[in-house]
Amino acid sequence: MTRSRSRLIVTAAAIGRRLMILVGASLVAFAVLHAMPGDPVETELLAWGLPRSDEGVAFLRREWGLDRSWLAQYGLWLDRLVSGDWGRSIRTGRSLLDEFGDALPISLVMGCGGLLIGLVMALPLGFFAAQRPGGVIDQVTRSLSVISQSVPLFCLALAAIWLFAAELRLIRPFTGPAFERLLLPTLLIALYAVPRFSRVYRRELLLAINSPYCKFALAKGLSPRAVLWRHAHPVASAAMLAAVVSECGWVIGGTATAEVVFSLPGVSLFVVQSVGVRDYFVLQFYIVIMAAWMLAIGQAADAARAWLDPRTAP
Amino acid sequence: MTAARILMLAAIAAVLALGSVWQPFDPEAIDIAAALAPPGSRHWLGTDHLGRDILSRILVGGWRTLTVLAAVAALSFALGAVIGTSAALIGGGVAELLMRFAEFLAVLPSLVVALVITAIIGFTPATAGLALAIGHAGPFALMAYGLARRTVAEPYIEAARLLHIGRPRLVLRHILPNCWPTLAAYVAADLGRNVVGYAGLAFLGLGGAISSPDWGSMLYEYRSHLFDAPSLMLWPGAAIAVTATVLNLTLDPTVADTDDTA
Repeated sequence: MTRSRSRLIVTAAAIGRRLMILVGASLVAFAVLHAMPGDPVETELLAWGLPRSDEGVAFLRREWGLDRSWLAQYGLWLDRLVSGDWGRSIRTGRSLLDEFGDALPISLVMGCGGLLIGLVMALPLGFFAAQRPGGVIDQVTRSLSVISQSVPLFCLALAAIWLFAAELRLIRPFTGPAFERLLLPTLLIALYAVPRFSRVYRRELLLAINSPYCKFALAKGLSPRAVLWRHAHPVASAAMLAAVVSECGWVIGGTATAEVVFSLPGVSLFVVQSVGVRDYFVLQFYIVIMAAWMLAIGQAADAARAWLDPRTAP
Repeated sequence: MTAARILMLAAIAAVLALGSVWQPFDPEAIDIAAALAPPGSRHWLGTDHLGRDILSRILVGGWRTLTVLAAVAALSFALGAVIGTSAALIGGGVAELLMRFAEFLAVLPSLVVALVITAIIGFTPATAGLALAIGHAGPFALMAYGLARRTVAEPYIEAARLLHIGRPRLVLRHILPNCWPTLAAYVAADLGRNVVGYAGLAFLGLGGAISSPDWGSMLYEYRSHLFDAPSLMLWPGAAIAVTATVLNLTLDPTVADTDDTA
């Protein structure tokens, strides 16, 4: 009873701390817009091609609350943020809430799907690499690790488009149905995730196999493979999960170059294009969305860690 | 570090630096008549869709990359060392606050930082370096803090303090020289990944200057010729991959992950 209650309190405290960080992030996002060069009223008038008149400027300033104090403006902005009244995109004229609503799933499917596929592939690769250090699979994942840190994703993406679309004509990355357009970028993200996950998994397996409890299991007569799977794997998988979760936090933004190469209308592409036309409101909401996502992932990570390794639970 | 590594590193550095003093052609000179020329005696690596000399553009891109690397190294070192050592010297609540700040910098996505910096002051190799450095400064400050705190506990620092040596001098003359080798190795280990990071930012075309002779923006510009002139992508792609691989393999002992615990 007391244990579950204390756990509840700790969880609530963690959520409270994360909410406070979120408020901090919203303050930063709000401050970013104020640091921008140029006047939003002038930008708006320019964007709509309206003639500049003193009355018009004064009206817009009053309308947007720009004549009020800094804190009042932040309050106003926060109110709009929470109520979903995010304004319109200067570039497309559509509501920003709709724009982000359409773009987010694309980035998330691509990013999280890629990480998931990477995880599924990393498990056997890491396991066999640990079973025979220096063997073929160990060498392959090691080379993949060097490549993934030296060749940017968009380089391999261009090569993949050239090979599979231009030469072999197997896939239509720009004109096909949604699945076909998402396939290559998702697989590429998986390819970059595989070495990161499998190397962590392998390292943790090797650490575990040298610990006394695994040596004992070996001495008892269990085969090395059985010891690896039954005794080392639970510990190593918890460590790998931490790596997966930290990668998940980077999903929004991490898919930016993939979205550009495959011209997929994801969040990052939308934001990069909006910043290109000086639509800085988009940047504000992007910062808040990203912070909210990273904090949500952090909360999920805490829960997963407590579930996988009860020793770390409060 | 073996002789082979030093040689490889020197070769890469020489090629990157070469772009600042010599290019066979003006990298921006357009010559439509010579567009998409294959590699030959006049244009060693051929020309692009506007007839610009690819070798010249690669060389300028290399120099710009080197500028970014220098900026990242200097800025992340300065920022991280200042935060880390002052936290170690002052200690207490201030240190706690500074370390929280460093952790915050470490999780800050570099794309967001780059977008904000681009929006405020524009995109040049120096500002790109700043964007990449801010993210690196976080873990760097945490490391500098750990190193400096160990040094601060040494008797000779106590002696220096008793001699009423001021804090700036204490840091510069007595603490930093002790942490310097480890910190420098840490900065160097990240150089390869910064090549990749800068290429990514340039590829995204931040700041709108998509025709700048950066390796990343060259790939962005040439990618529309993927179907009719795929060889255009070969040189900038190879430049990024080779530079990053050499820097990673020579400077980062963890990249090959050969520290077998087994």
